[in-house]
Amino acid sequence: MGKRPLSLSILLYGGLVFWLVIASLPVVWTAIISFRQYLDAFSSPVKWVAPFTMENYTRLWIEKEFYRNFLNTALVTVFTVTISLTVGCLAAYALSRYRGSLGFWLLMVALMFRAIPHSSLLPSFFTLFDALGIRNTYFTLIFVLVAINQPFTIWMLRSFFINIPNELDEAALVDGCTRFQAFRRVIIPVMWPGVITTGLFSFLLAYNDFLLSSALTSGDKMTMTAAIANSISAESETLLMQGVAGAVSITIPLIILVVIFQKQIVGGLTQGAVKG
Amino acid sequence: MKTKSFLQFVGPSVAMMLLLLAAPLLLTFYLSVRNCAMEMEMVKIEESTPFGKKETLTQRAKLDAAGKAIQSCSFVGLDYYRKVLGLDAEAAQPGGPPEAAGTIAKGDKADNEFLGALRFTMIYTFVTLPFVLGIGFLLALGVNGVSQNLKGAFISASLLPFIITPVVAALSIKWLFRDDGLVPYLLSQVGVQVFWMAQAWSARLLIILYGIWHVVPFAFIVLYAGLQSVPQDALEAATIDGASRWQKLRYVTLPHLMPLIVFITLIHLMDAYRVFEPVMVLTQGAFTTSVQYLTYHILLQESNPYKASAAAVLTLIGIVVLLIPLLVKTYREQKRGV
Repeated sequence: MGKRPLSLSILLYGGLVFWLVIASLPVVWTAIISFRQYLDAFSSPVKWVAPFTMENYTRLWIEKEFYRNFLNTALVTVFTVTISLTVGCLAAYALSRYRGSLGFWLLMVALMFRAIPHSSLLPSFFTLFDALGIRNTYFTLIFVLVAINQPFTIWMLRSFFINIPNELDEAALVDGCTRFQAFRRVIIPVMWPGVITTGLFSFLLAYNDFLLSSALTSGDKMTMTAAIANSISAESETLLMQGVAGAVSITIPLIILVVIFQKQIVGGLTQGAVKG
Repeated sequence: MKTKSFLQFVGPSVAMMLLLLAAPLLLTFYLSVRNCAMEMEMVKIEESTPFGKKETLTQRAKLDAAGKAIQSCSFVGLDYYRKVLGLDAEAAQPGGPPEAAGTIAKGDKADNEFLGALRFTMIYTFVTLPFVLGIGFLLALGVNGVSQNLKGAFISASLLPFIITPVVAALSIKWLFRDDGLVPYLLSQVGVQVFWMAQAWSARLLIILYGIWHVVPFAFIVLYAGLQSVPQDALEAATIDGASRWQKLRYVTLPHLMPLIVFITLIHLMDAYRVFEPVMVLTQGAFTTSVQYLTYHILLQESNPYKASAAAVLTLIGIVVLLIPLLVKTYREQKRGV
């Protein structure tokens, strides 16, 4: 690279800073107004400084029992990620080692499934789950999320498995392991980075889901995203401010996640791209 | 690997996809050509009031022995498709197909709900795409030029719009653009006054802005990774040959990134077709809908799973058409043996 002219440098840093402001403004401003009374949060002209209050949070978490929604989300995401990875690892490993055309077609069908708009499944889900009487249960939501995650999970895990040399498990087979033992004792230990990265995205899909979670849960089974739907058209001021506090509460775990796992997330995003 | 053990390994995954993806999709097709309604009966209700007996005639659902309402279901063919596509207008006129018309509740206005939703979905997809690619590319170039220790922090902060819960992000933007929110206030300082969520064009613009904001980090990170593998010797050779900064970008860097640009485009087509949360949050369907929102709305607001199924099938046809290039690309790559 040659020397950069000063004007280009200014443009470059200016542009990057501008993007950072745009990227973080909605989140930062929501966080700021979540510690205010309604009249200070929304006013014209805008108040830059206002009295600090935790009232929105205490109302939401204690009076509205948002901790229940938090626990529901925790339960649903933990099970979704665990089952997704278990089932997905088995399938992805087989897909990376099998040479027949069946595997190829399975991957193509999975790709089609990945593109399905989720609301297309809802009329059938409602009909089926109502008939079976299992609509508003953790079990149903978890398995629906696992199934929705499967296509993505097996594609991503497969791209990691393919990088593990065949010789590794072949050697184990020669030594008298069964396929499953070779998979469990030889492949999985070297697969941890791939499993963690895929698990992160699996977590994001389950945690961020709004459409299915809000349609399939109600009452005391609601996840955090389903519960915050109330504030979309909130008329009352206290309800709206609780929504603001809820939005911040949902975002905090994600920010922690990015700080800890930035490398894995970036790696995962580029994984698919580099492989094509 | 032998076929038998292959099938054992993929078994659980395939079973789950068959049960919860494939079967529901097939069921959707079935539901979309049917209609169920509660059987109604006329009943005479006698009330004894202090002023004598009062009789009223009223309708109620027939109940079976278990006390559940009896549903009567029938095959209605493409009726609901016609309804969703707004072709129902002639059914109301004399000479239209009269047979099945009676089974469907009247009163919906026959506008073209689906094409309206599809139009906006397409506008959203194809307006956001160039911005996502353009801004993502500029950011990738920019970050490539700054010093090493700033990169990590910048990438972390940039990831935020991409990983944040979409419904929360849409809400945050809604609060930011409320008439008494921050952005209208800042705009009013420079003399611009827009009531963002009160008009169709600005509500749509807001959804599109959300879309760009949400996806730019993805394009940025993928392209940034691509920039790391641009062949340095080609760049040096171009410098020696006297190529300008712009020429190097145009003739060395861009061709190298082309496969990634195609990749981002395809992923974006898939995801933009599913746009839902911003439509739900920012307009609640008042000015604009998307295909995914339409199905959701018919199902939850109109409580009509049959009509919703018809909308869902049309949505699926749309995505299959949109996906053909992606499938062909993947098919070719897999055949080449990646």
